[in-house]
Amino acid sequence: MPADGVRAFSGEIPTERRFPLHLEPAIRTIRDLYDEAKQARWDPERDIPWNGFDPSRYPAEVLEAARLSWSRKAWTEYGGLPETPALIIRFCLERERESDPKYFLTVRNTEEAWHLECCHRFAELCGGFVAEPANPAYRALFEQGLHRQALDAARSLDAYVAAQIGIGDGLDLELTRLARDNARDPVARAVLDRLARDKTRHAAFGWMYLERRAPLWDDSERAAIAAEIAHVVRDVELSGLRCAWLAGDTAAEIIAADRIARDAGLGAATRDEEEPLLRRYLADAARQFAALGVILPEFRV
Amino acid sequence: MSLTEISAPPAARKPTLLDQPERRFPLRLGVEIRKIRDLFRAATRNQWDPRTDIDWSALDGLDIDDAHRHAARMYWSRRAWSEYGAISESPALLIRFCQERREPDLRYFFTIRTQEESRHAEACYLMAEHLGGYIPAPALVDFEKSVSTHGVRKMALDPETPLEAIIAALVCAAEEVAFDVFRHLVEITPNRAANQVLRNIMRDEVRHCGFGWAYLEHRVPQMSRAEIAVCEKAVITMIRDVEMNGYHSSWLAPDSPAARDEVEADRLTWEAGLGATVEALEKPVFVESVRSIRERLKPFGIEIPLFEHPKFAGPV
Repeated sequence: MPADGVRAFSGEIPTERRFPLHLEPAIRTIRDLYDEAKQARWDPERDIPWNGFDPSRYPAEVLEAARLSWSRKAWTEYGGLPETPALIIRFCLERERESDPKYFLTVRNTEEAWHLECCHRFAELCGGFVAEPANPAYRALFEQGLHRQALDAARSLDAYVAAQIGIGDGLDLELTRLARDNARDPVARAVLDRLARDKTRHAAFGWMYLERRAPLWDDSERAAIAAEIAHVVRDVELSGLRCAWLAGDTAAEIIAADRIARDAGLGAATRDEEEPLLRRYLADAARQFAALGVILPEFRV
Repeated sequence: MSLTEISAPPAARKPTLLDQPERRFPLRLGVEIRKIRDLFRAATRNQWDPRTDIDWSALDGLDIDDAHRHAARMYWSRRAWSEYGAISESPALLIRFCQERREPDLRYFFTIRTQEESRHAEACYLMAEHLGGYIPAPALVDFEKSVSTHGVRKMALDPETPLEAIIAALVCAAEEVAFDVFRHLVEITPNRAANQVLRNIMRDEVRHCGFGWAYLEHRVPQMSRAEIAVCEKAVITMIRDVEMNGYHSSWLAPDSPAARDEVEADRLTWEAGLGATVEALEKPVFVESVRSIRERLKPFGIEIPLFEHPKFAGPV
């Protein structure tokens, strides 16, 4: 069952002091990622072979499942639209922060819009986008108000990045790769391939930023980061935000739809595939955080 | 500064959009404003990269003295600060669109708009760097005021400031003036690199302005006379108290050491052919811009009066 993933908002956002305004490259790895993202620009209209999708190849029940499975992808992708602008603003509000993350996040937000457009369009091709989850408890998992958390002066920006990007975006990348590898339909595969390429940069950004920041953390910051990660893993990820089977009965129709879509090669995955991936990802992330001085509790999947 | 209550005294913290929980569903993603969705697609097709799409070699070996070079560094640094304001503040509008579940086309378009603002800041920074070095802060405190924005972030997060008034004032007035000035700069700037930067920014700004007009066209028929009057007030405030106070054109600012420095840096940069303009050339551009905004807003029921300013012989 979904736990309480929604955090209260303190009511305050940090105060900006704009000058001196640093626009020079300061975190070379992230600046390179930004430059790479600009060069890797693509166009959902032109670069996806939409005409290659032939719905007549699939039985009605498969199309019905795929439209739900891809609508669920769109519900998740949509999260970036309000979250990333909040994160951009937060980086700008933090005193004398480097320009590289700000620039990079502006490209990330565009890519999120392209991902959303593709998932929505594919759901439409399969019979029509489904505008909301059927179960209110499952729906609540998507409405965490990340834009509020990102801007909340009472919360550490580094803890936010660690939890939402280090854990969330990293796991998202691995699951997207899995769905892509399962996709035999040329359009589903092309979409997921594009998503995976962009998400590779999104996940890398988080770790690059954390590596840069880690030497500045004291014990209390490391504890805040560990606590935030524990919250996101337990209350959000292990409640089924990305792996629907963890949401149990509240997402029963999604779990069934994913299974059918996966078997038809329409870009989804099942519990049997996702569970070991999730365990592996959390173990790898725990090792990476430990190397940065952040010790995570053990998570029971 | 609020566009609708410009002289309101500071008050205790008012609730903002951030105090409201997220409401994502039902999630509408289809096309609702075709013109704006097309602008998003056009923006996707027309991306550019300041690092690779500008002929930076045109700034090598310039035959200019130190005063002109320093002025141009300052001009382009100042422009970078101004573009940066759109990265730091305008994303709040996207949060507003999402939180109020406005038409999905707005949300799509604004993602790429913010990316374009970062390209603009990067390009202006690179111009300053190629001219001897970006300057990270104004020399005079007054300068800081002249490059600050109009409080977009605060307004966007204030549920009591109508979104339509923000768009009318910021986009259909302020960005329209900025676009007209960019077009003028493209016409008069001979240096190839500076011209390319200005031209590329102008091409993006065309879409930014198009967004505002398309949104008003969509929304105004659904608005009451009172709601339209709020838009009218916001546009008047923007032109009279922000634009005619030197927000885009330093020669319109009240006299001060900072304003004089800015005007002089503009003049030297223009003289070197590296961007910028001067009062005599920009004045007719500004007058025509305000006239055009007034004409375009009239069919929406938004009546913009003539304005007085000591720099103009008659009403503008």
